[in-house]
Amino acid sequence: MIKNFIISGSGGQGILSIGTVLANIFMLNDLFVSYCPCYGAEMRGGAVNCEINMSNEELLSLQNEKADYVIALNQTSLDKFINKVKKNGTIIVNSSLAKIEKTRNDIKYIFAPLTQEALKLGNIKIANSIALGILSKITDNFSIEKVKKAYEKILKNKTELIQKNIEAYLFGYNYLQERIQ
Amino acid sequence: MKEKTLLKGNIAIAKAALNCGCSCYFGYPITPQTEIGEYLSFEMQKNNLAYVCAESEIGAINMALGAASVGAKVMTSSSSCAVSLMQETLSYACSDELPIVLVNVMRAGPGQGYIFPSQGDYNQTTIGGGNGDYHIISLSPSSVQECVDMTYKAFYLAQKYKNPTILLVDGLLGQTAEPCILFDNPYKEIDNSSWALTGAKNRPSRKIHSLEPSQNKLNKHILNLKNKYDLIEKNETDYEKYMCDDAEIILTAFGSLARAVKAVVNSFREKGLKAGLFRPKTLYPFPYDALKKIASQAKAIIDIEMNLGQMLRDVKLGVLSDSKVYFIGKPTGNWLKKEEIIDSVENILKENYANI
Repeated sequence: MIKNFIISGSGGQGILSIGTVLANIFMLNDLFVSYCPCYGAEMRGGAVNCEINMSNEELLSLQNEKADYVIALNQTSLDKFINKVKKNGTIIVNSSLAKIEKTRNDIKYIFAPLTQEALKLGNIKIANSIALGILSKITDNFSIEKVKKAYEKILKNKTELIQKNIEAYLFGYNYLQERIQ
Repeated sequence: MKEKTLLKGNIAIAKAALNCGCSCYFGYPITPQTEIGEYLSFEMQKNNLAYVCAESEIGAINMALGAASVGAKVMTSSSSCAVSLMQETLSYACSDELPIVLVNVMRAGPGQGYIFPSQGDYNQTTIGGGNGDYHIISLSPSSVQECVDMTYKAFYLAQKYKNPTILLVDGLLGQTAEPCILFDNPYKEIDNSSWALTGAKNRPSRKIHSLEPSQNKLNKHILNLKNKYDLIEKNETDYEKYMCDDAEIILTAFGSLARAVKAVVNSFREKGLKAGLFRPKTLYPFPYDALKKIASQAKAIIDIEMNLGQMLRDVKLGVLSDSKVYFIGKPTGNWLKKEEIIDSVENILKENYANI
């Protein structure tokens, strides 16, 4: 079983942070994983994306043409990566910063106003973690302990920030269920 | 058992270098290897070790030469076009018999090229641009874990043979993070007290230089170096063979691209085609004999690289026949994908082998 992920947005949205958190979650669950960042010369405001590949056996392809799951945190990345979603794959779109518009009918769309929800939770920076929570819900059921541990690996001793991100992650994790009900 | 950590190839190399006692680092920043110097600039200062951000790559490699001559475990790192600047000193270091570890995280060339990943420095590494009869031991990792293993090995071989060693890393691998284990350095320390320039108190003075105006002495020196290279070729040649024993089609590749090729082999095996992968782990010394043995029973050998056929020359030398050797490659950019390689291999087979 191999799964490919692309997380995309603009510099400052924490694309690479949740990319490494996701990669660490896979690693902590004893899966094979690779994580490759891609960014332009500009750090803030420029386009950023990362590719994460996960497998339960030795990972052989580090670069892939298409992904099973794509997270797009703004319009530019939605436009750039919509055609990188595999047939029957899923794209999670931040509808606060991108139009709700379905240009393909062979993939699943999840639109969520991530930036607005993050602001409601009190920190605009945690929109990325809400997206990660949604992604976790539709892919695998990881134990929250391992998710916490992954955040701790990235955010080290910033306890408050870790807590805020976990809160956002859990909000994302339960987001779809609440909307369906 | 040490715990797994998710590390970029570049950081894994830097950590492994510190683990095995690298006491001096000299370098000049260049993408895609800048994280090595960045990481070491913090860690070496913390541990009271020597870190110099040099004024140029020429400065960096010559500082490395100086530090090696006094017996320090020294490393420098750079990328393709800047490694070109180091060629003169690498030839000197071979003649001076000085252990220097050079990490080259490749980007696209020729000339300045760009930061796209590529495997275009195979020739630069294995043949080199310096003068004279010299060789540089070169190791080619295919995963982040191998970046760790081979950094340890690079330091060990450099010290053991008193010769520069190059760790040739794909740009993609330098930037990709994978889980790896930073185990302890498995190699023993090499005593350098017999040659290092540590001050001549209570012992006769020593000198290290490559200048030798006596024809006889110079000949003798070069022949001694040759004996050493023969020994390296005998003892240190390393490779991976995967499903090669009964293979009719041998695919050859080095570095991280070899992993995509392994996936291609798996795919062909599922279809009933007997394919195998041959991957040199040491580019110098190249495993000619092992390849020759495997190739003798194969119908076709297809070399796959992210360049326009640099290792191909060594593959042909190993196979000793170019009638059944083919090439698939592209110069730079996104790594060849499994599907692309499968298509190209199938085309080659269709054109040349009606019955496979």
